[in-house]
Amino acid sequence: MASVSLPKLTLHSLFPTQSPKTPLCLNNSILHKLPQSQFHGLKLSRSSSTSIPSSSSVKTSIFAKVTQGTVPPAFTLKDQDGKNVSLSKFKGKPVVVYFYPADETPGCTKQACAFRDSYEKFKKAGAEVVGISGDDSSSHKAFSKKYKLPFTLLSDEGNKVRKDWGVPSDLFGTLPGRQTYVLDKNGKVQLIYNNQFQPEKHIDETLKLLQSL
Amino acid sequence: MGAAESHIWLEPILAGLVGYVLADLGSGVYHWGIDNYGSAETPVFGPQIEAFQGHHKWPWTITRRQFANNLHALARTVTFFVLPIDLACHDSVLLGFVGVCSGCIMFSQQFHAWAHGTKSKLPPIVVALQDAGILVSRPQHAAHHRQPYNNNYCIVSGVWNEFLDTQNVFGALEMILLFKLGVRPRSWDEPNSDWTEETETSSQVALP
Repeated sequence: MASVSLPKLTLHSLFPTQSPKTPLCLNNSILHKLPQSQFHGLKLSRSSSTSIPSSSSVKTSIFAKVTQGTVPPAFTLKDQDGKNVSLSKFKGKPVVVYFYPADETPGCTKQACAFRDSYEKFKKAGAEVVGISGDDSSSHKAFSKKYKLPFTLLSDEGNKVRKDWGVPSDLFGTLPGRQTYVLDKNGKVQLIYNNQFQPEKHIDETLKLLQSL
Repeated sequence: MGAAESHIWLEPILAGLVGYVLADLGSGVYHWGIDNYGSAETPVFGPQIEAFQGHHKWPWTITRRQFANNLHALARTVTFFVLPIDLACHDSVLLGFVGVCSGCIMFSQQFHAWAHGTKSKLPPIVVALQDAGILVSRPQHAAHHRQPYNNNYCIVSGVWNEFLDTQNVFGALEMILLFKLGVRPRSWDEPNSDWTEETETSSQVALP
């Protein structure tokens, strides 16, 4: 799309970082600077992309990022037993999707165990809990077994879903971000919580919201 | 003393203070690296890594070493780096910084040994400096020798320990190294025989 490529080139020359947040806001400001006569094509495409955020064209463009109130892109990933699990499986009930850096690391272990210890409260709220990291099924299986985790862990090999959902990285892109999404029973995002170094807070924040849904 | 004269001393002294503070940070980072990564087979650092692991197994033995023993290895490294600087530079501020920083590093093993001592056996001046927070204190360093063995790494004054531990700086560095180099730090795994202190009773009885 010619209208999208122009700002994209400018961005790459100025800002080499890959934070998914920057393209959206910077793109708007760059478009504003262009003279009116060259604007028509760009203006039209910009307005169409921002007015219907959940349309499929936006999901595949560089603006794709899950925000509050939107329905995130669907996925099918393998769980700890190697079985395919789709996001659509959870429709009809609230689901907590938590992205974490890696199995068997201190923060992620704390977080998984905290979800496990509060699992009854999540069940009481009618919600399901799903953990996603880039580790493979065998790593998830060992992690899940070691800490007796009662919920599903999914293998996002290549971090594709992480990128699709726009989960931001930490420490200048060196660390996969720790971000949790709460989806309501219609599959719409009601909460996005990000905290890399206080993993147990994810449980408090998500439970607080679920109890209000 | 006139204003002009005191000024000559003030800047090098301040530079020395900065050197003292940074030496503590340096001791922490170095200690964290050696405690968590590599092995006895690692080039250059292998023997030190092995020694640090041995120290975790038998921490009390450090109190039985002679003063020269605690200094000589570090003195060698410090001489290697500081002598050229001393010969090439004449700036008093830089020399103040380098002198105090390298001096603290050279003495860090002795400060560490004192932190393992018992109050009744240490020179009173050492106890006073530890209690004042000028030298790393005994309780602060003892925390490093307890599970989960991942805190209180600084051994000069320990002034950086609280900040580094509450901000989880080493935790963040460990995650970065995991994702960039695929290496796990030793402190993440269940305490095994590498870390666990052996009980003193049997070896103490054997000594004359």
